[in-house]
Amino acid sequence: MLFNSVFFITWFLPLALLGWYLLQRLENPGFAKAFLTGMSFWFYGYYNANYLWILLCSLVFNYGVSALMRRDGTGKTGGSEKAGTGKLRKLLLAAGISGNLGLLFYFKYFNFFIDNCNFIFHTDIRIEKIALPLGISFFTFQQLSFVVERYRGNAPHYSALDYSFFISFFPQLVAGPIVLHSELVPQLAERKNRKISPGFFYDGLTLFILGLAKKVLLADALAVLVNSEFENIHALDSPSAWLVICWFTMELYFDFSGYSDMARGIAGMFGFELPVNFDSPFKATSMREFWKRWHMTLTRFLTQYIYIPLGGSRKGRARQCINVMLVFFVSGLWHGASWTFVIWGLINGLAQVFEIVFPRLRLPGKWINRIITFVIYAVSLVFFRSDTLEQALLFLSKMFTAGNRGMLLGVCNMLQYTENYAILKLLDLRSPQFINLFFLSCMCLISALCVRFLYGPTAEQWIKDKGHTLRGSLILATLFVWVFISLSQVSVFLYFNF
Amino acid sequence: METDIRGKGLKRLVLFIAAELFMVALFVWFFDPFYQYHSPFFGQAVLNDRDNQMPGTVRNFEYDSVLMGSSVAENFDTDFIDRAYGCKTLKVIRASGSAADLLYYLEMAQEGHELKNVFWCLDIFALNASAETTLEGGDVPRYLHTKSVLDDIPYVYNKEIILEKIPSMLVFSYLGRNTGGNAYNWSEGKTFSAVQAMRAYDRLLVTPDMMLDEVDFSGEIPDISENLSRIRAQLSEHPGTRYRFILPPYSMLWWDSAYVNGQLEKQFYILDRIFSELSAFENAELYFFQSQEDIVCDLDNYMDMVHYSPEINQYMLERMTAGGNVITGENREEALADMRRLAESISREKIFYYYR
Repeated sequence: MLFNSVFFITWFLPLALLGWYLLQRLENPGFAKAFLTGMSFWFYGYYNANYLWILLCSLVFNYGVSALMRRDGTGKTGGSEKAGTGKLRKLLLAAGISGNLGLLFYFKYFNFFIDNCNFIFHTDIRIEKIALPLGISFFTFQQLSFVVERYRGNAPHYSALDYSFFISFFPQLVAGPIVLHSELVPQLAERKNRKISPGFFYDGLTLFILGLAKKVLLADALAVLVNSEFENIHALDSPSAWLVICWFTMELYFDFSGYSDMARGIAGMFGFELPVNFDSPFKATSMREFWKRWHMTLTRFLTQYIYIPLGGSRKGRARQCINVMLVFFVSGLWHGASWTFVIWGLINGLAQVFEIVFPRLRLPGKWINRIITFVIYAVSLVFFRSDTLEQALLFLSKMFTAGNRGMLLGVCNMLQYTENYAILKLLDLRSPQFINLFFLSCMCLISALCVRFLYGPTAEQWIKDKGHTLRGSLILATLFVWVFISLSQVSVFLYFNF
Repeated sequence: METDIRGKGLKRLVLFIAAELFMVALFVWFFDPFYQYHSPFFGQAVLNDRDNQMPGTVRNFEYDSVLMGSSVAENFDTDFIDRAYGCKTLKVIRASGSAADLLYYLEMAQEGHELKNVFWCLDIFALNASAETTLEGGDVPRYLHTKSVLDDIPYVYNKEIILEKIPSMLVFSYLGRNTGGNAYNWSEGKTFSAVQAMRAYDRLLVTPDMMLDEVDFSGEIPDISENLSRIRAQLSEHPGTRYRFILPPYSMLWWDSAYVNGQLEKQFYILDRIFSELSAFENAELYFFQSQEDIVCDLDNYMDMVHYSPEINQYMLERMTAGGNVITGENREEALADMRRLAESISREKIFYYYR
């Protein structure tokens, strides 16, 4: 189910909220938890019930590993156990990691693996295309983290209901943020979730509206041009190729950070707080800072479970650089089973390595460094957005060597939106000579708006400053209605595929 | 204190959202471009979006006659029909002309209207289409076909309706386009010429000995029978309604295509069954234009294999009111023989004129 769908907004979310808060009136909170867990399963299996089986199997497997670890630990339930040293515990950790990575490998990487085997060994192995279950990377990483924390003795063995709730909680299930058990499960026991808090609810609702607006009004508007031009790379020249990749960079940000805002907002309406996933990443003045602000929960996961165990920065600069490259190799692969994603990851890794090796090699001025950071990330996204390496290289050649053939105007002609339909028709009838100028103005206006939102306050900050005023409420209500009437043109979220 | 402010903010936000949603709904309800709730409050109805407007107009408009058919029926002037037959006619169009779909709309019309006339532009190819309606779960939004307002959210809250359909409707209404007898008329800007028609026909220049053998169409007979049986049932159940079936003139390209593809006998089989089964009814009249050589063999009347100019629509209406081109139990064999002679001469001689 999509957050940006009429069904979700008019039926699913109100029903889930109503059920959650009504059942909280019962003495036993288990009913409310069970209800919301059931709703989460419905949310996940809405488009394909078969995916639900995969989620359930993964849940049962990891819960089983956790339960067996208890037998090799102190035996306590409910509280933290000390890290066990038993063989069984180690075996269980290995089994937990292998099981989760195996699941991910089968559904996400098996086709990629076979393709590469065929390429390297000149074989012709053919297998049926394995469909990628929604959000498998997110819930698998979340459970991997839990298994490792169980092994380390940092996580208790939760009740089956609490654990199912933690993994399947629908706001974060299919596209994150990647939540740690210690961030969500303890909130289940807090009283504040058991009674609706108008303040908390208001903040959640407004964050949800702003996230929706980012996705539907900004990301989808940018996608119109980006999608059409990535189908037509041959026709691009340098200015138009740069425009397309800059717009894709902003599309990706508004799409994914919009989703994260919605997830946090919905969780807020239920009385839960999810971790922040984006902190105005384009305000970063270096790639290292950028990755501390972009998809923060993934960066945290990779840091905690790959970078630090590999030694982090403690074993010298050379080893640190290798560790960074390894982390970004994994990050690229996590984003997609394709060499384009791996190269995207490696470019980001290299940029960080460069900053580690030459820490003083910086240009003066905050804005110049912000622009450089934006450009490096945008160039890396050529690989992220391209379907094949050939497509990516063709796009790069257009960016750097195609010159100016006046294609920018042609590209802008793609900006035909419902919002400018009437003006376009009128211009077409009365003054067709101004149509190109009109499209160019649309491009400038949208770009300016996006830049304003990239470098302006975060959604949370805006809500805190202006969201409670009369004007703020009016803006939020209008944004909501504008989004709501736009939902007939639903598009899926980019990060569902990861 | 902070919670109080946010509590008030929540109430205010919900109120604003509710008020804005109400205003949007009121706006869409008032203009109602798909006529889901009412016929226009002022001015003439603009009918330019066939599939989306059809269910609403059938349910909510005032009329006592319908003109049904595929796109070849869209250019009929219903004002002429109204004057000639003293009635008020609504166009009921389905692109494919599928009998099942048109019967679906006809039954919907009969639920709320006592029909005096049904003018049915009956396509031969519509009778061997599936006897199941394609409107259930098909390419048309479901909410258009239900009377409930609960599923109307995609209509009432849709920016395409608000920012495209309603402004277009107002402009069309102001310009008088697709209103009155010109409902759904698509002829503006189209070119009807032999060159245009031939461009749409991709037959290779082949000699008669290279043609395909006649295709076995016995598998299609159940659908043909079912479609005809449902039309016969319609005629029997509504003896007070006058049914006028118009068999429109497809171009010689269509007949040649049927010949080249080995489907000529199937078309004659369908024609024979239409003639024999429908002409038997007291309340049915059949008007046959397909053997009209001066129209069919002059490709300047067409823009492709089947779509003819509005002048041909008008010609047919005038012939009907004058009592011409009627098929009866007595002349049906002769009409069929004429058609067969014409079809044979098309594929043996006439078509080659256009390859010169």
